[in-house]
Amino acid sequence: MTVNNFVTVEEIRQRYREKGYICSKEIAAILYMAYHLEKPILVEGPVGVGKTELAKTTSVILDIPLIRLQCYEGLDESKALYEWKYGKQLLYTQLLKDQINKIIGEEDTLEDAIGKLHQYEDIFFSPRFLEPRPLLKALQAEGGSVLLVDEVDKADQEFEAYLLEILSDFQVSIPEIGTIKAQKKPLVFLTSNNTREISDALRRRCLHLFIPYPHPDLEREIVQINVPKIGEELKNQLVSFVSHVRNLDIKKAPSISETIDWARALLLLNTEVLDHDSIKDTLNILLKFEGDIKAVQQRIGDLTALVKTRAGG
Amino acid sequence: MTRFLENFIKALRDSGISISTAESIDAFNTLKIIGYQDRDNLKFALGSVLAKSFKDKEIFSRCFELYFSLLTLETASDSILKDLEKFQDELSALTRILIREDKMDIIRAVNEAGLAANITDMEFITQQGIFTRKIMEYLGFEELKRDIGWISEKKNLGGQQMGTALEKAKDQLYQYVNDYVKQHFLLYTALKTLQTAENHLKAARFSDIDINDMRKMQFLITKIAKRLNSRHSRRLKNQKKGGLDLRKTLRKNSPYQGCLFIPQYKDKKVDRPDFFVICDISRSVRNTAHFMLLFLYSLNKSLAKIRSFILCSNLVEVSHLFAKYPGEEALERIHRGEDLDIMLGPTDYGQAFMDFKEKYISAVNKKTTILILGDARNNEGDPQVEILREISEKCKKLIWLNPETRGIWTMGDSEMTRYLPYCHLAEECSTLNHLERVLDKLLQSSV
Repeated sequence: MTVNNFVTVEEIRQRYREKGYICSKEIAAILYMAYHLEKPILVEGPVGVGKTELAKTTSVILDIPLIRLQCYEGLDESKALYEWKYGKQLLYTQLLKDQINKIIGEEDTLEDAIGKLHQYEDIFFSPRFLEPRPLLKALQAEGGSVLLVDEVDKADQEFEAYLLEILSDFQVSIPEIGTIKAQKKPLVFLTSNNTREISDALRRRCLHLFIPYPHPDLEREIVQINVPKIGEELKNQLVSFVSHVRNLDIKKAPSISETIDWARALLLLNTEVLDHDSIKDTLNILLKFEGDIKAVQQRIGDLTALVKTRAGG
Repeated sequence: MTRFLENFIKALRDSGISISTAESIDAFNTLKIIGYQDRDNLKFALGSVLAKSFKDKEIFSRCFELYFSLLTLETASDSILKDLEKFQDELSALTRILIREDKMDIIRAVNEAGLAANITDMEFITQQGIFTRKIMEYLGFEELKRDIGWISEKKNLGGQQMGTALEKAKDQLYQYVNDYVKQHFLLYTALKTLQTAENHLKAARFSDIDINDMRKMQFLITKIAKRLNSRHSRRLKNQKKGGLDLRKTLRKNSPYQGCLFIPQYKDKKVDRPDFFVICDISRSVRNTAHFMLLFLYSLNKSLAKIRSFILCSNLVEVSHLFAKYPGEEALERIHRGEDLDIMLGPTDYGQAFMDFKEKYISAVNKKTTILILGDARNNEGDPQVEILREISEKCKKLIWLNPETRGIWTMGDSEMTRYLPYCHLAEECSTLNHLERVLDKLLQSSV
């Protein structure tokens, strides 16, 4: 490591802000810990708060590749770790049939022929015929990498057990080739939407980070950095509006990405202040369920009043 | 400092967060890396290592605030106290510590005195005064007062000021010990009784549980349901893999010219056990029914298909309520009886069985397990035992859960003895522990 990364927590916040990701103090502190303790981070939280973005920005800042493993029910070792290129192996054996015949042809007995072939066996099980999948790629990356295991709660328990093994030693043994150890431990992010309880064993291996819906101050910064041309008053009002909407009893609370989209839309429509009509027209950007839209439409009146009195600046 | 963190981890464990040895080692490494300068950073960093779920984080936050504010010991930092050093040999141990103004020494002394005074025996906050006095005694309060006395006498050597300064230090120390005892109580004792309270609730009869404990019961029920869920869903998954499916394998491997690289297995269809739960909601059984239904519906949907019914003077299905509303709300609606044809008169099991036979018996097959929760007190009505026999023959298992103790089953208007021959299993079920045991057995045997 030639460049000293993540020396202080403040530095982390600064660098992430430069790349367009606003970190809360908690996120920065835990990133600091994960980097220096070399432990994976389990990031939990509602949809759309920036869990995946965090991993992406980290890889940009540290200038190492981002390797992404999207989990789903039924994900198994062959799709996650490595697979042999069966097709290629078959193809090569077919093409090199003549060559192989030449080698074996000299031998008389079956036993000798097999013995001769054994010497070459390793060729077809060499790294050339190995298809590395995300986990193996992360281990093999020189100079380290950021490994993002997305939505680990969608994978099943067997896969979790398998992940555990890799996350503790950062090495994997392929029977034909040998043990492959990570040259530099990757920085691992595991994200979860809490559709299912993550096993305790996996939780213990990782540092735990919970990213909630942001505090209005933080969200204002986020909107500012993503929609730089937005007016001060509009920004304050819309952030205040969104935080009130999140407290209502709706099916899906608006996430940060929806706030940003809404801000962009309002800017595009040249809105300067939030009023009843502008909200009514653009509500479907913020809310994605018809039931929610109806519920909020009834409350637009009092919500706008609340927002105007509170968001003075 | 390590002792300090050890105690903190102990306090966390007592309040219900389980922390493994590996995690506590991580916590020590965390301290080394992040340092003490920034309180917020320390809190976040320790939180990420020690509190690994949302609920744990709340407990952690509370404990952190309590524990890490213990260090606010005000010291006089009077240079006057330094002058007292010339009397070093004649002063008591406590006075010497106070003069040195070393916070850590003072805290250590207080902690040791606390242990000597058996502060862990403290059970009630009203004992705060007693324990404070005991600790001061162990620290050597009397000697300190004596020292202040004779130092103040030495007027020519500036004893007056020294005496006052020492008096101030003494008061601050007293205040600190007072706070220390209170914090200790809040941290250790109050939170430890939570564990015993939980065990009490689990063993308490449902009828004895009052409104105030409802939330705690809910919490307990979710906890137990979660345990049952994880125990049984794992098992279910494993049993799904069958033998080699040759047709599928050949099809999957046709790109490989028939070399069988990727074997495919048969998917055994494991049907979820079918539960029909019939709950008596008359006053005598209401509480038990409440918890039973709550418990059942906290189970994972993939573990069991549940259809629920309530009976009083007749029988009505309530599964749709649970499908639409969350557990607690559904139960409330049931209690209010709105939109349901339930007649809340005297309990009539006979009528209920007739209703069941009329409307629902066709849905019962050899895979169904029927759970009846009730006290079988029929108010001298017609028990319709024949219908129960029919139901029992049609289903896989008929289980009767009675909230009364077995001894009373033969008394009064209870028809248990007449229903008993047709039940595959009849159990007393009046506490959460009973419920858990019964359900565990059922889930195990039903696959």
